[in-house]
Amino acid sequence: MMRPRKWPGLSLTWPTPRGGKGGIDMSKHVTQTGSDAARPTGGSQGDESREQWLARLAEQSRQKQERFMNNISERLRHPRMTTAPKHPYRGAPDFWRELDWTTEQKIDAFSDNWLSVGGHVAKLGSMDEVSAYITAKAEEMGAKFLVRQDDPTLAGLGLEEALPDVQVSVWNSDEQQPWKARAAEADFGVVQADHAVAYTGSVVVTSSKEKGRSVSLLPTVLFIVIPAERLKTRLGEVLIGLDEAGREALPAGVHFITGPSRSSDIENDLTIGVHGPGVVYALIVG
Amino acid sequence: MSGGKSGATVKARAELALNDEFLRKAVRFTTERLRNGKKKASEEHGNWEEWRERGRQIRLHTIAHLDYYLNTFVENARANGVHVHFADTAQEAVELTLDIAEHVGARSVVKSKSMVSEELHLNHALESIGVEAIETDLGEYIIQLAGEMPSHIVIPAIHKNRYQIAELLSKEAGYELPPDTTALAGFVRKKLREKFLEADIGMTGCNFAIAETGSMVLFENEGNARMVTTVPKTQITLMGMERIIPSWEDLEVMATLLPRSATGQKLTMYMSGITGPKRTADGDGPEEMHIIIVDNGRSLQLGDPEFQELLNCIRCGACLNACPVYRHIGGHAYGSTYSGPIGAVLTPSLNKNIAEWDDIANASSLCGACYEACPVKIPLHDMLVYLRRRKVESGNGNKLEGMGMQGFATAMSSSKVMGGLLRMGKLGQKLVVRDGFIRTKLGPLKGWNTYRVTPSLPKKSFRDQWATLDQELKAELREMPTAMRERMEQKAREQRESKDGGGHGHG
Repeated sequence: MMRPRKWPGLSLTWPTPRGGKGGIDMSKHVTQTGSDAARPTGGSQGDESREQWLARLAEQSRQKQERFMNNISERLRHPRMTTAPKHPYRGAPDFWRELDWTTEQKIDAFSDNWLSVGGHVAKLGSMDEVSAYITAKAEEMGAKFLVRQDDPTLAGLGLEEALPDVQVSVWNSDEQQPWKARAAEADFGVVQADHAVAYTGSVVVTSSKEKGRSVSLLPTVLFIVIPAERLKTRLGEVLIGLDEAGREALPAGVHFITGPSRSSDIENDLTIGVHGPGVVYALIVG
Repeated sequence: MSGGKSGATVKARAELALNDEFLRKAVRFTTERLRNGKKKASEEHGNWEEWRERGRQIRLHTIAHLDYYLNTFVENARANGVHVHFADTAQEAVELTLDIAEHVGARSVVKSKSMVSEELHLNHALESIGVEAIETDLGEYIIQLAGEMPSHIVIPAIHKNRYQIAELLSKEAGYELPPDTTALAGFVRKKLREKFLEADIGMTGCNFAIAETGSMVLFENEGNARMVTTVPKTQITLMGMERIIPSWEDLEVMATLLPRSATGQKLTMYMSGITGPKRTADGDGPEEMHIIIVDNGRSLQLGDPEFQELLNCIRCGACLNACPVYRHIGGHAYGSTYSGPIGAVLTPSLNKNIAEWDDIANASSLCGACYEACPVKIPLHDMLVYLRRRKVESGNGNKLEGMGMQGFATAMSSSKVMGGLLRMGKLGQKLVVRDGFIRTKLGPLKGWNTYRVTPSLPKKSFRDQWATLDQELKAELREMPTAMRERMEQKAREQRESKDGGGHGHG
C-alpha cells in the first residue's frame, strides 16, 4: 500500500517540460560535506561578496519578471495591464458587512468560540484583576520564567513586584539578551491583543520592536489581555484596517490566533500544544 | 514529477489500497470527519452559496488579470525588502533554493507544509548538498521519517496508525515510545523545538499573497509555520504563481471558505500575514526573506477555456473528502503529489503529459460531488471529461475500447441489427449461464465478473414484449373511469379556449 517515495537517484535529473538543460549540475553545489565549522559562503562564485550575489540575483529577477509577466498576458490574450482593473467583487458580500454586534454579544460570542476550541476565558473588571489572575495562575502552576511584551499596559500590571520568585523578562528591553531563547524557556508569555474578532473567536497580535512574535508563540502558557473595546464583530473589520494602513505602515508580522496549537495528524486524535502554546487564556477586560 | 510515479497503473495501486483494511477504514473515517465538519460549519455560517460565488468571482477576477496582480505583488514585496525570484520549472526553483542555502551557509532547513515543495521534491535535493531538511508539520514529519508521500492534502499521514507512528518515532528517539497520541506529539514537540532553534533557514509555502501590500498569508493549526517564519535567520517561501488575491479585504472571503471547507473550522488556529523581513529594530523574525514564484506548468492553463479555472484552487481538500473514489482508494493510488479529483486534473495539466498520466483521469465516477464540495466552484468533473477527450484525440485512447464503441454504435443505430444480435446472444449464452447469471471470467467479462456477476439475457426481453405492452396501455386508456376522463377532457377544452380566445400576447 505504502509506496516509498521514488527518488530519481543521486544523479538528480528532472524532466524539463520547457526545454532547458536536463538536470542540475550538482558539481556547482557540492561543497565539502562533513566540515561542520564555518562553511565558506559564496563558495563556487569565487570572490563575489554577499551583496554582489544578492545584486546579481536581483538583476536576474528583474529580467525574468518581464518575461514572466509577458508570458502571462500573452496567454491571457490581452496587452500587459499596467493599471488596476475594476474589481467589482472585492471583499465580503454586502449583506455580511451589516453584521454588527453589541459589546455584550461580542464578548459572549468570542468566549463561546474560544472555549469551543479548548481555550480558557476570564472576564475581568480591571487591570488589577488581570494582574491578580496571572499571579494566582503563576503560583498554581509553579511558573519560573515569564516573558511579556514591552507595553505600558502590561507594565502597569506590576507582575515583577507581584511575582518575586518568577524571573520576569521584558521583550527586547536589552539588546544583549538572546530574546528568542528567553521566550523559548518561558513558562508564561503575556501579550496584549491589538484586536479581537468575536465571530471567529480570534485575537490579533502584531510585531514591532517592543512586541516579539516569539512571546505569543514559544512559551508553554499564553495570556492574552483583551480590552473589551478592541473586540470587533467580523474578521473583515480588522482586515480592511490593514488595507487602509497601506504597505508601508504594516508590521512584519500580523498574527491571528484562534486558540491553542493543535493537530489531528495521528489517527485523527486531537492533540493540543503541538508547537505553539497548548494552554491559552483570553482575559477580557472591561 | 515523473519521479513520483511508479510504473504501475492507478488500477494496480488502487488494488493494493483496497486490500489494506486499515487504510480503507482510516481514509473513510477521516474523510467523513472532515466532510461532516465542513457541512456543519458551512450550514452554521449560512448563505454558503453566496460565499462560494463570491470566492469564485474573486479568484476568476484575479486570474483573469494575473499579469497585473502578480506584478503588483512583486513590486510591493520588493519594496518591503523581500528578494523575489522567478522559476519557470521545478528544476529552476530547486536551483534557486540550493543557491540560497549555500550562500547563507545553511546546515539545516526547517519546513512548514508546502505542496509546491512536494512538487519539487526539494528535500532530497537539499540533502544532496549536505543540508538537512526537516518537515515540521506533525503529519509531514511522520511521513518524512517513513520516506513516503502525503496521502491527503490536509491530513498527510492519514494512512498510518499510531503503532506504526510510535515505531518510527522510537527509532528517531533512540528509546521506546508508547503508542499514545499525547506522548508521541510531546516527543515531536521537544525534538522539533531543538530543530527550529538551530535551523539556518525556515521554508514555507504560501496560502495567499496580497498583491496590494506584497504580503504573504499562511493558514495552520500547529504553530510550526509561525516557528519557521519567526526563528531562523533566513526565510524562503515557495509560492505558486496563482496564489495571489488583490487585497486583505478579499482575504476575508478566502478565510471564510478555506478553513471551513478543509476541516470545518471557523478559522485555523493561526493565520499569519507576513510583510517583508523583520524590521531593523525587531527582536525576532527573519533578517533575510526570499520568495520564489513558481510556474512549473501553471501558466499553461492560462487562456485555456477548459482548464483556466484550475488556477482558482485554494488547496482545501474538500473535493478529496467528497469523492467516492478517493474515499475508497486513498491518496497514494493516484501516484502523484496532488491526489483526489483536483489531483486527477491538476497532475496531467501541470505536466502537459496526458499520455503518461491518462489513467488518473479515469479514477473518477464523474458524479460531480467534487464540484458541489468546491468552495470556489471549479467544475472538476467537466475537466475530467475534457481530459479523457484530449487523451483520445491525441491518439492515446484504448484501441479495444474504441472498436467496442464503434460496434455498439452500429448495433444501436439499427433496430434490425440489434434484434439479430440479441437473438444470437440468447442462443450463445446458453453455454455460460448458470441459474440465470453469467459468472465466467473469460475474455471481456473478466473485469466485470471479478467482483460482480452478469445477469443473463432474459427469455423474453422488453423489446419482445413491447407490442403487447403497447396494446395494453392503449386499452387501459379507453377503460379510464368516466369521472377522470371528463376532468381531463374539461382541462383540454380550457387550454384550447384560452389559447384561441386569449390573444394576451402568449402566442
